Amino acid sequence: MSAIPETYESPLRVLVADDEQPIRLLCQVNLAVAGIEVLQAADGEEALALARSEAPDLVLLDLMMPNVDGWTVAEELAADGGTRDIPIVFLTARATTNDSRRAEKLGALGYVLKPFDPVRLAPLVAGVVSRCSRGEADELRRERPPELWPADLEG
Amino acid sequence: MRSSTALGWAAAFLAPALISSLDALSNRPSYQLAGFLYLLAVSLAAYLGGFAAGLVATVLATLGLDYFFTPPRHDFIPANGDQAAGVGLFFVVAILISQLFERRRQVQQQAEAATARANRLQAVTARLAEAVTPQQVLDAIVTQGVEAAEARAGAIGLLTADGETIEIVAQRGHEQNIFVGWESFPLASETPMGKAIREDTPFFFSTSAERNASFQTMAGVDGPSHALAILPLVVEGRAIGAIAFTFPTEIEFDAERRALKATLAQQAAQAIDRVRLYEAERALRQRMTFLADASELLGSSLDYETTLAQLARLAVPEMATWCSVDMIGPDGSIQRLAVAHEDPERAAWAERLGEEYPPDPAQAMGVPNVIRTMTAEFVPEITDDLLVEAAQGDERLLEIVRELGLRSAITVPLIARGRALGALSLIRDDTSPRYTELDLDLAAELARRAASAVDNAGLYREAERRGDASRALAHVDDGVVLLDEHGAVVSINPAAARILAVNEAAVVGETALGSIGGWSEIEDNSRPEQGGTRGPVTLPLVLSDGSERWVSVSGVDFGDGTVYALRDVTEERLLERTRSDFVATASHELRTPLAAVLGAVKTLRRDDVSFDRDQRDTLMDMIDREAERLSGIVGQILLTGQLDAGRLPLEHERFDPVALTKSVVDSAELHLPSGIELRVQAADDVPAVAGDENQLRQVISNLVDNAIKYSPQGGDVELRLHRNGQFARIEVADSGLGIPLDEHHRIFEKFYRLDPALTRGVNGTGLGLYISKELVERMNGRISVDSEPGRGSTFVVEVPLAV
Repeated sequence: MSAIPETYESPLRVLVADDEQPIRLLCQVNLAVAGIEVLQAADGEEALALARSEAPDLVLLDLMMPNVDGWTVAEELAADGGTRDIPIVFLTARATTNDSRRAEKLGALGYVLKPFDPVRLAPLVAGVVSRCSRGEADELRRERPPELWPADLEG
Repeated sequence: MRSSTALGWAAAFLAPALISSLDALSNRPSYQLAGFLYLLAVSLAAYLGGFAAGLVATVLATLGLDYFFTPPRHDFIPANGDQAAGVGLFFVVAILISQLFERRRQVQQQAEAATARANRLQAVTARLAEAVTPQQVLDAIVTQGVEAAEARAGAIGLLTADGETIEIVAQRGHEQNIFVGWESFPLASETPMGKAIREDTPFFFSTSAERNASFQTMAGVDGPSHALAILPLVVEGRAIGAIAFTFPTEIEFDAERRALKATLAQQAAQAIDRVRLYEAERALRQRMTFLADASELLGSSLDYETTLAQLARLAVPEMATWCSVDMIGPDGSIQRLAVAHEDPERAAWAERLGEEYPPDPAQAMGVPNVIRTMTAEFVPEITDDLLVEAAQGDERLLEIVRELGLRSAITVPLIARGRALGALSLIRDDTSPRYTELDLDLAAELARRAASAVDNAGLYREAERRGDASRALAHVDDGVVLLDEHGAVVSINPAAARILAVNEAAVVGETALGSIGGWSEIEDNSRPEQGGTRGPVTLPLVLSDGSERWVSVSGVDFGDGTVYALRDVTEERLLERTRSDFVATASHELRTPLAAVLGAVKTLRRDDVSFDRDQRDTLMDMIDREAERLSGIVGQILLTGQLDAGRLPLEHERFDPVALTKSVVDSAELHLPSGIELRVQAADDVPAVAGDENQLRQVISNLVDNAIKYSPQGGDVELRLHRNGQFARIEVADSGLGIPLDEHHRIFEKFYRLDPALTRGVNGTGLGLYISKELVERMNGRISVDSEPGRGSTFVVEVPLAV
């Protein structure tokens, strides 16, 4: 609870796009505990549609999804004036450095590698949204966006 | 003829005297009888001695008749006019008789002369017919022919091969020096022969004055020449030369004489032509024989130094007076390998001369030039100027070469595989005819064969030298390519030919760049420095057959060439890539269920939230399911490892495939996604099968999972069982995404996964079908697929029936 800044008048809304139902469920449960509203998309197509129609405060985006993959979703959101400013945090099982570099290039504001600690998801999301709302998105990118690695599970 | 003339003169004096002596007889003949006898005497004299003798006899007879038998006797003055008239009449008659006999005698003489001429002509023809060499023809014409033509001297001039020059090839009867400076002269010159040939017309001059008037150039030609006849020698309408006859006296050329000369000229021309044809044919035969002999000789031994020396000797004396062979030595210098001359002493002398005057490689003509330019030199006529130039100011050398009487020369390069190995020189002195283009062709052919023999011998030596190494290289798996300093392939072992997809025979001797696909890549990346080594580097090559291959290459330069060692690492590369792909895929496949399990546990253990029972159950189910999934993936990986190692023991038990299939469907029903319907259709008579029941359960379960997974839009999954011969056939049919035809064989490969675009992101390890195939085949069964994109897939497993 403490992770939510008092200044927010309306609850945060986060879009979770992942084809794995268990992952969506974990995000849903743990974000809801922190008072964050969760929208769910099971593939890239759905994710794009929801991002455009609901304008969420952040997208947690899986990379390997049927129909339209996460890379494409990120590119299309960045290319669209209406969604360009929605912060994206990648949520993926892809562990190569190539992938994280590519995510960085796409303007990712966070990188969460499965398996992750879902308890730490809400503070990460809230932090990213709060900095972006202060117009510090680029600064955040330069500083190195927050990451959740499997090692963080120890914490 | 001469004896009869003498007899005539004798008769002219004696016969009238004899008759006059009858006057002394007591019974002396009458005036009439005496006159008759005198006429007989005159006739005899004229018949034998001709008109002059007859005239003398006539005068004597007339005087005798008048003095002894015309009254008054012993007095020249006739007694009366009648008697004087009688004596006069006698004189006239006697004259007429003399003339009569003279004419007859002349006719006879002419006939005899004509016969003699005909005989002489006959003799010329006979000699010409026997002639088989040009010299014999010329001899026949200028000896017999001159005689037949009643000429004092004769000469024959023939046009040379180029048709520009007249060469005096034979002469007879002239003063020794008349043709000095006139051995040959241009056809275009203002000479009787030149003009006769040019205009194809005979010329007859009765006196030398007449000749000099027509040809001022001839005015200086002295000697007791008188009449002159020049006739063209014509063969098939073309003048090939001319024949000249010089006569001892001034002669009026009547029609008969002209015809005779024309006949002689015609016969001479034909004879010369026939002999020339014969000569050409003989020369051709000789050349063929020579080439055949040379080829046999060249093929007889691999010791080319001996062979070439023998070849040089073979060329002498028919082909050349001198024959020499020069070769380029290992150090690039020109070495005289052999010199041949009919006389071995001369050959030895020439060899010493050659050592004394070694060829200067920079020389603008001769052997060094021929070798350098790889072009033949043909000097049909060695002029003195040429000798002076060749001697380069060395007086002694000039003297020597002048003395040799060199006439004509051919030098041809010995070229094999585009490189000059040496040169073959043929020289004729002035005892032999000049070389023609035909001889040049023959020499070139000879050189070609000799060069090829030398080259073969060299290759053979090289091959022998490398023999052992080659045999060893033939059996190594690494490719070895040896290039010479020009980049031509000297040898390529079978492994290299296989790796580079080329035919060994097709590339040896060719440049590697030109004949081996992908070689430029090798050159660019692994060509070593002079004397150095480079590599190994692994290069992607596009080969001659269009295929792509990864090849590890290293190069070693050894001065005379470069050795490249090649190893095909395509398989390794592919395997490595598949492995790294697998690691990526497996890690992804493991991370997802692991994330769910760990995430659910972390969530359940939150102390800041208390979940209700439903939420707890959902999370617990998730843990259960995802842990199962995790365990399945780990199981697949382990199973693959066991299959690869061949360490998977399979049961051989009897079981009911229908019951097995139904139990697989039952457990799948437990967590079936919505929109999917599972059905089993089993024939009644499916017998028991033999195999490993647990492993077959794995297989069918995997096929059913796939059928569900690749039917994201839902649909029916049908399992059909029936007997097919000695097999039980189990079909798993879906109506899902389907598989393109060209992927059908690949989906059973280890780690192979369909293009994500085709699977709409369906995850998997790429091991399921590989494992299924391995297991089924190890049970002596079969597995196959029938599918079409968009129309679903049917996987067919056949397991042998139990006996």
